[in-house]
Amino acid sequence: MVTRAAQVTMLSLLLAGLVITGCAKRPATTASTAAAPAPAPSAAPAPVPPSASAPSSGGAAAAAPAAGAAAAAPQTPRPVPKEFMAVAALKEVHFDFDKYDIRAEDAKTLDANAAWLKSNADNLVLIEGHCDERGTNEYNLALGERRAKATMNYLVSQGIQANRITIISYGEERPVCNEKTEACWAKNRRANFLVKPR
Amino acid sequence: MRRIAIAVLFALLAVATVGVWAPPSPVRAQAPPDIYINVTGGGSKKLNIAIPEFTVVTGSDSAGLAKMIPTVAGNDLTLSGSFSVVAGADRVPANNPDALRQVWSNFAAAGAHAGAHGLLTLRADRVEAEVRLYDLTSPTFPPIASRKFDAAVTPLSPGFDWRRRLAHKIADDIVLQFTGDRGVADTKISYVVGPSGAKEIVVADYDGVGTSPVTRNGSINLSPVWSPDARSIAFTSFMNGYPDLFRLFPFEPRRGVQTLASFHGINSSPSWSPDGQSLALTLSKDGNPEIYVLTVQSGALQRLTRHASIDTEPTWSPTGQQIAFVSDRAGAPKIFVMERDGSNVRQVTTSGFHTQPRWSPKGDTIVYTQREGVHNLWVITPGGTNPRPLTSGQGDNQGASWAPDGRHLVFQSNRSGRWQVYMMLLDGMETTQITTGAGDATSPSWSPRLP
Repeated sequence: MVTRAAQVTMLSLLLAGLVITGCAKRPATTASTAAAPAPAPSAAPAPVPPSASAPSSGGAAAAAPAAGAAAAAPQTPRPVPKEFMAVAALKEVHFDFDKYDIRAEDAKTLDANAAWLKSNADNLVLIEGHCDERGTNEYNLALGERRAKATMNYLVSQGIQANRITIISYGEERPVCNEKTEACWAKNRRANFLVKPR
Repeated sequence: MRRIAIAVLFALLAVATVGVWAPPSPVRAQAPPDIYINVTGGGSKKLNIAIPEFTVVTGSDSAGLAKMIPTVAGNDLTLSGSFSVVAGADRVPANNPDALRQVWSNFAAAGAHAGAHGLLTLRADRVEAEVRLYDLTSPTFPPIASRKFDAAVTPLSPGFDWRRRLAHKIADDIVLQFTGDRGVADTKISYVVGPSGAKEIVVADYDGVGTSPVTRNGSINLSPVWSPDARSIAFTSFMNGYPDLFRLFPFEPRRGVQTLASFHGINSSPSWSPDGQSLALTLSKDGNPEIYVLTVQSGALQRLTRHASIDTEPTWSPTGQQIAFVSDRAGAPKIFVMERDGSNVRQVTTSGFHTQPRWSPKGDTIVYTQREGVHNLWVITPGGTNPRPLTSGQGDNQGASWAPDGRHLVFQSNRSGRWQVYMMLLDGMETTQITTGAGDATSPSWSPRLP
């Protein structure tokens, strides 16, 4: 809502206009062409990065390697998340709201997971960190990262080699339960495990 | 664009009105004379403006501009929060001063304070619109300004409609003439559509019209943020499996997506520096979510935070000297501010659960999201004083983004039962829903004024 002060100001400015135009008598017509609307921004020719792939019209269809040195690339290749599969033996763990510490009951679950990983030493493991929908997307991405990392650290403390473990945060983007209830949110605040052979 | 030779009158007006909208401004005008009290009877707190159908001076109006421009520009003036558009069916004939006076007389009787009349010169490849403003509070309805606009006639596409852009530019100039600050209609918004697990980014006019997809990778795309030149959008995407940071060019369809950061861990929460040369972002490559500054051209990285807690969601001050961010170093997440080099960290918000800080382009306000059962938008000064809510009692309201005037905000709310994008003024008033699609609409980003 426009404040009273602004209203008064605007109206008295209009009055000021009256006073002045009363002297001017004629339209204050500008001679120049005003603010010519630019053509579509797309009309501006832009350099196409030589490495850019050709996406379908209208958008980003595929990621291209960055132009120049702008790409901050991983130091070592990351395994492809899609290649990891769930196994029934590895149980997920859960977290309190806005927390990333391992609860006592979940430590037992992780002990069992560590035992399985030791006896299946040919498997790499991907730990996914997740959040419930409360909180906000960007913060939850960081929170999910901390949950996955805390889970990883526990497994490492139980003797699993860190170089077998990759973590990924999905934040709140991949809920397993979509109801707006505490029971459902509790299920979504989780770290779960996927494996693939080395 | 102030290079235009505005007549002396409006140069004076513009100077006189600078700061009218700066919050909260003291009363600096004298009491209005009786005539305005009469005109504003009925409790209106806005300038009532009439925009009759434009008059075609030359050419054939096959595109329907004479009706369309006043309609679009009128809605822009309504959304500006400073104007109320007076409805009326009167048409203005060309070159007929008596008829024009009669039209203004009718609008004045209906409560209009000002009138805007457009004269269209239509050619096959170009359209010129001369817009004349009149003061309807004086019995003689004197003209108070005239401005010319022109646009190239180009093929229409979902992402670009030169007719709407012409109308937006006219509206922005009318806002400038009467308030001293250019309007924000000639801008775009970007936002995320789709449910969890399948989110794509779209671009639309700031009023939600003309939605056009800019990602189509079937993955999860998050956090679009316009660059200061309004030509690119930084965003987080899982398109390569992990949450990496990219940049797309919405107005250059043949230009590919650029990878900005793809380190181990999260690459998220992009925030452009005011000069567009750098991005503040969150990386966990060193073991924990921390804030870094990436120089886009060189790829150089500078780490700003070193703390065992979560540090994320950086947002630059308009001077580029400070960065506000979220940290849970004091328990639940709160808003902090540090210098551009990471020094002198100080806590801005205290008790509560606070995320999504966005520093106002005017510099004096930070908007953020407070979790209080539901989420609501609050503002606070960068010094940590005067926290106050902008929303309450209407579901969740979060993810705010500033318009370039620092006076409007766009945000997401589920008050209708589904996530949609809304805009409002900085005082929390004049809330308007601007998306109506079937899917969830979230994470809006308001562009700078278009080049």
